[in-house]
Amino acid sequence: MSFEYHEPAAVAEAVALGARFGEAGRFLAGGTDLIIQMRRGKVAPRHVLSLHRVPGLDRIEANGAITLGALVTHRAVERCADFQGPLGALVEGARVVGGHQIRNVATVGGNVVNASPAADVVPVLLTLDATVTCLGPDGERTLPLEGFLTGPGQTARRPGELLTAIRFERLPPASATAFLKAGRRRAMEISVVCVAARLTLDPARERCLAARITLGAVAPTTMRARAAERALEGRPLTDDVLREAGRLAAGECRPISDVRASARYRRLLVETLVPRALRRCRERIGGGA
Amino acid sequence: MSPRVVGHSLPRMDAPGKVTGTAVYASDFALPGMLHGKLLRSREPHARLVRIDAARARALPGVRAVLTAADVPDVRYGGALKDETVLARDRVRYVGQPVAAVAATTREAAEAALAAIEVVYEPLPAVLDLEAALAPGAPLIHEAWATYAAIPILHREGNVCHRARIVVGDVERGFAEADRIFEHRFRTAMVHQGYTEPRAAVASWDSSGQVTVWSNTQLPFEIQNTLAEILELAPSKIRVIVPGIGGGFGGKLRIGVEHVAALLARRTGRPVRVLTTSEEELTAAYPRQGTRVELRTGVTRAGRITAKEGRIWFDTGAFAGSGPGVASVATLVLAGPYKIPNLLLEGYAVYTNKTNCGSFRAPSGPQANFAVESQMDMIADALGLDPLEFRLQNIVREGDEGPTGQVLAGVGLEECLRRAAAAIGWDDRRPAPGRGKGLACGWWTTTGGSSGVYVKINPDGTVALNTGAAEIGTAALTGAAQVLAEELGVDLADIGVVSADTFATPFDFGAQGSRTAFAVGNACRAAVADLRRQLVGLAAAQLGVPADALELRDKAVVGAGKRVTLAELARLSQASGGGLIAHGTFIAPPTAYDAKRVEAHVYPAFHSPSFHAHAVDLSVDRETGEITLHRYVVAQDVGFAVNPAAIEGQIEGGVAQGLGQALSEELVYAEGRVLNPNLTDYKMPTALDLPRIESILVQHPSAVGPYGAKGVGEPPNIEPPAAVANAVAAAVGVRVTTLPITAEKVALALSGETAP
Repeated sequence: MSFEYHEPAAVAEAVALGARFGEAGRFLAGGTDLIIQMRRGKVAPRHVLSLHRVPGLDRIEANGAITLGALVTHRAVERCADFQGPLGALVEGARVVGGHQIRNVATVGGNVVNASPAADVVPVLLTLDATVTCLGPDGERTLPLEGFLTGPGQTARRPGELLTAIRFERLPPASATAFLKAGRRRAMEISVVCVAARLTLDPARERCLAARITLGAVAPTTMRARAAERALEGRPLTDDVLREAGRLAAGECRPISDVRASARYRRLLVETLVPRALRRCRERIGGGA
Repeated sequence: MSPRVVGHSLPRMDAPGKVTGTAVYASDFALPGMLHGKLLRSREPHARLVRIDAARARALPGVRAVLTAADVPDVRYGGALKDETVLARDRVRYVGQPVAAVAATTREAAEAALAAIEVVYEPLPAVLDLEAALAPGAPLIHEAWATYAAIPILHREGNVCHRARIVVGDVERGFAEADRIFEHRFRTAMVHQGYTEPRAAVASWDSSGQVTVWSNTQLPFEIQNTLAEILELAPSKIRVIVPGIGGGFGGKLRIGVEHVAALLARRTGRPVRVLTTSEEELTAAYPRQGTRVELRTGVTRAGRITAKEGRIWFDTGAFAGSGPGVASVATLVLAGPYKIPNLLLEGYAVYTNKTNCGSFRAPSGPQANFAVESQMDMIADALGLDPLEFRLQNIVREGDEGPTGQVLAGVGLEECLRRAAAAIGWDDRRPAPGRGKGLACGWWTTTGGSSGVYVKINPDGTVALNTGAAEIGTAALTGAAQVLAEELGVDLADIGVVSADTFATPFDFGAQGSRTAFAVGNACRAAVADLRRQLVGLAAAQLGVPADALELRDKAVVGAGKRVTLAELARLSQASGGGLIAHGTFIAPPTAYDAKRVEAHVYPAFHSPSFHAHAVDLSVDRETGEITLHRYVVAQDVGFAVNPAAIEGQIEGGVAQGLGQALSEELVYAEGRVLNPNLTDYKMPTALDLPRIESILVQHPSAVGPYGAKGVGEPPNIEPPAAVANAVAAAVGVRVTTLPITAEKVALALSGETAP
């Protein structure tokens, strides 16, 4: 493992280096995926571009819309006061990633770029209709997160492009989020299935105005369960309706069997965890059906 | 007088170094000019080695040696059965088998050399599981098996490298006396010991032709002999030193990488270090065998067991390893701690094209006990009996015979069962929907073998304990030192330990089989008996008091109102008699058994047996199958608790390891390859997965152990799988008969499906 290490001190410099090295360069944020991939010989960049000296990338801005800089760690998300209420699923997703040491360095931006279908915070971001901003030699562009994730380990990021920020809006009133994860153990675990949900109810808290249901580790990318979402919107959220959403989500996911679990069990977990996550959202909003 | 040192929860002697990070482990050990050794491992489960071309690798920068089978002595070695070679010669038999070894100036150069070695394989039909290995006409893993050297007692045939048997009474007559006969099958997965430090060795040859090997072995003296065989040298030309071990649990009994380091160092004339990776550990170490178990048990309506027929097959991998011994021990575990008049029990060690399995804390214990104790609950349920009462009706008690006729003494099993059940709240076995409690009990041995120690009194009155045993993290040498301190009338803080150096320390059978504190402790007692004579003799002359009026107390020899300290006597001896030193030895007396009851049995009786009962309280999520452990209780008959806190540590660690085997751990093979050769997907439990573990130390003394102690290290690993299986069945009515008991298996069973 031999490479040249660079420490750009500004975003512009990082992007310039990214453009110069293209496929031969990799940006280094927390390193919890990149270093392992390098050690295992899966990637062998000739240039590693550390982002740690670039100022401001580790900030969470919460003025109206919320912006996570590329270097915001899972620990920072866990501890962010703005995420303790309706956005609580961000905390629930962040706090089950790896162990303490991992969360202290692993970044949400890196997690998005790594594009693992089993990522834990990504499904939560998808329920928030998050966008990602990339800066490259051709300038800045902003894409929906869903479109950014194109396959396992695959994104729409172009060679040399730097993911600078992840952005999402605050939730309207009568909204809540929830995140649930199933795995073989309670820490240091890669999800066998993870589920995130977001509900927004009408002011009377009787009917569902908007629903987002996202699933991890049951398709080549983190996915939205659109049929299940449609089954909720406009309806009072009775237990039967939530269970129906679970069945629909289980039907639309595309799990595989691997060493972690069978496809059959993954579907069963989706069918179980989707209504649980929705119930949790409903309880958090309070009132209603 | 109540004991001052033994029986007290004193801090471990090795603790300060380990918690402050100053302890030196084998993988820390380095020498100037050291090269890095690496192994090229087979990519095929079973293949003919057509060609190995290392020319390109040898020419790479930094590469100092590449060894293939042609470059190393053509020696077959092994334990009970000599079926192994250092490097594959003409055939590979598992994915991960060493094919070539390289030494280079850096690890990267060594890895580059591995990549540059060209190997041409011609695949052969692979035997991927027990069924395939035992099928009529199955390909032979070792076509020349009959020509291999073996201890004469082994019973071998083709892919079966050993079959041990216990026959008592007449099982058919016993079944005829039964009202009900229960037949069940079980399976357990291959699991790794999970020690934190991978196997490591540094070897260096000196100008006299002696090689010194620093390694993290549990058995330095066995490694010395195995190296002598492999290197074709006298054992005295080989010195093995254990600088420290980051855990062993049986996985470091047999030769790991010591021979590779020694051979590469001999070829290059430089010191060589070999250190395995996690992937090598999980594909090519000595894990616990996966098993298949079949049990047939006859019981009267009232719950008396009349007969048991049991067979256990161990998937021992491509070489016998510990298989023959483990298959033998298993039959005693299959009998269980029960009085059963008619027994037919067989243990088989079977070759397959997988990694060579070895020993893991209570070898065969968890696998056989899982089957036996699961079935006890299944029978109790079928007969409408309380599982605790059914066990109490059949367990062995003081003076009963064990399965092979040994007379049992110091039997605390009933107390263990009653106290574990009471502590878990057995009266309320199903306290809430989806919640249940389970029990399991068992027995185990204190392994024999001899130990020697030198004990020397320093001129300041402190004491040097010189032992061939290694401290592998069990606190066993702290226990032995407590015995020594007690007997000599000094404090534990006065004892210093030198250990595990085949050149400098006396022989020890090694840190294995729950024997270290027991055997080294007894050797210390023998040494003190000698030192006492020396001390009293000197003191009698010094004090003018008859020897029979003197005793050792409080760091001195005292009597008739007079006193002389050990320090003074040590200085006196140094000035006049060469210093105070004694050699103490111990070997456990043989345990009498009825030889007519066993056939081809490597381990026919349990020495100073221990007894134990485990109880667990858990909940099962009916939809996801997820199991939440609330409480775990162990009542273990330890004979005498030399260091209660250290024993509780052994219980907590053993249960944690046992719960991993119960719930989450398995090396998953497909087509002869491990699918999860990393610690991401090999799931050892974390602190968050474990409940509070409560220890109840029951003390029915053994006749042989120091102060009545029994072996304590292995037993806590035995019962967790069965206890969990029984609790899951109590909680949700699902009986899982295969390990691990994953949430997936439970959920699919609850949804009416069977796991794939």
